[in-house]
Amino acid sequence: MASALMDGMIAKKALSSPSAISCSDIWKPSLDLAAEKGYNACTSNDKVCANAKTAVILAVKPHIIETVCKDVAAHGDALVISIAAGVTLGTLEANLPGRRVVRVMPNTPCLIGEAASGFALGKLANESDREIVQTIFGSVGLAMEVNEKLLDAVTGVSGSGPAYVFLFIEALSDGGVRAGLPRNVSTQLAAQTVKGAAEMVLQTGTHPGVLKDGVTSPGGTTIAGVEALEKGSFRSTVISAVMATTRRSLQLGGVSAEDIQHKYNL
Amino acid sequence: MLDSVGFIGAGMMASALMDGLLAKKTISDPSSITCSDVWQPSLDRAAEKGYNTSLTNDKVCQNSKTAIILAVKPNIIETVCSDIMSAAGAGDDQQEQQHGGGALIISIAAGVTLSTLQSYLPGRRVIRVMPNTPCLVGEAASGYALGSLATDSDRAIVQAIFGSVGLAMEVEEKLLDAVTGVSGSGPAYVFQFIEALSDGGVRVGLPRAVATKLAAQTVKGAAEMVLRTGKHPGELKDGVTSPGGTTIAGVEALERGSFRATTISAVKAATKRSLQLGGTVSSEDIDRKYNL
Repeated sequence: MASALMDGMIAKKALSSPSAISCSDIWKPSLDLAAEKGYNACTSNDKVCANAKTAVILAVKPHIIETVCKDVAAHGDALVISIAAGVTLGTLEANLPGRRVVRVMPNTPCLIGEAASGFALGKLANESDREIVQTIFGSVGLAMEVNEKLLDAVTGVSGSGPAYVFLFIEALSDGGVRAGLPRNVSTQLAAQTVKGAAEMVLQTGTHPGVLKDGVTSPGGTTIAGVEALEKGSFRSTVISAVMATTRRSLQLGGVSAEDIQHKYNL
Repeated sequence: MLDSVGFIGAGMMASALMDGLLAKKTISDPSSITCSDVWQPSLDRAAEKGYNTSLTNDKVCQNSKTAIILAVKPNIIETVCSDIMSAAGAGDDQQEQQHGGGALIISIAAGVTLSTLQSYLPGRRVIRVMPNTPCLVGEAASGYALGSLATDSDRAIVQAIFGSVGLAMEVEEKLLDAVTGVSGSGPAYVFQFIEALSDGGVRVGLPRAVATKLAAQTVKGAAEMVLRTGKHPGELKDGVTSPGGTTIAGVEALERGSFRATTISAVKAATKRSLQLGGTVSSEDIDRKYNL
């Protein structure tokens, strides 16, 4: 993830030079890879904090966030951005007293510069911090601000969403093979169709239902396909997946079963 | 690099193809493109972009050396083909045209078979393409089939044209109904999916605008991962489902709802309807031969 963010920022010219980026890791091969691209590869977190005036991104597993925060708290006052799933702003602020923090839920397509991310600002974060986050996460895709309590919902849609899409593409490809297409042709057409249709929603800003109306001619092939989806409760099933994922995210985040049921209605 | 290309019909699809050719520099100059239409506003829009326009099909035939794309409704294909046969071609005499010379003819009319096209265009090289709506944003998924006289260099021409608006794959003509089932009609399934993903987001508390944007971008990004990594979608799914995590809970819900089976059934239904509309396959053959 960190690697994708670094590359994304350089590709979108959010930063003028790779030397403006410093990173640390305990795993040497990751550092070597970063060094090859011209980033400052540091063996200590202190060095990263010393070099980074604008922002420090915490891209480690949730269970080592607390340790890392100790190092960060001791150095500088750059914006701290965490992408650790389930680690709340409350926890971050407790471990980084007086620091401006932002919490981001990105997703896997970050790796190819097409992420969908949701972010929430901590108490002390300001307008210009919002812009910093937008610049960084905007350089690898789409970034949208939400209230922190909605980050589990963001997990349900965009955090976990890629898996639903992988299943969808596999099934579309299976459908093509079922109808006689060779597998490789089927998968390519399926994936490109999914990409193209999503691009239409993004580029036109038109309601998906209106777009669907635009491609379903009377008594034609497409409406027959739509009918089959409706018969199979396709949309209902997708909604249930978002609900199940969001629920699990709340559970992992420590929200009580009662609150999940009554407050979140899940 | 193509020499000159013509479009009979200057509607949305044709317009997207013309713009795509220029954007990808497959054609260097808009004046190398000529289009015709009965609807003046379409011609005006094309003229504004520098394309040559005409209310009649003759001019398209005269100007187009490389290929002529038929972008009209299936019910007027016959008339258009008759115009092509009687028009003077670009630099070739009529005799030569009827013996495999002349511009390649490419039809995007749904359900009009190569056999039908060939009967209207004796001796001409023809190709049949099934594109899809995202052609309009330069992200089409198209399947195409070569007529019996079409050559390797014609294959390259179709790839160049339809490749400039997205992905184009060659298939045997008998599979074009299956292509319809997947990529021709597929965008509608995706619109349904995105709407539902957005509804899911709203159900769990997101404002609509945020939910729809995140949903659409998620779908785009994940599809791009399949295209760019070339990995099996199942493998990619494995890569994002951590033990006991949020994502596998979502996957379980999809499986419980027979999500994939339903998707397969949509492809089958659209393919079956395409075969029925095509009129060349009997319902017995649809059942026994195509197993649909």
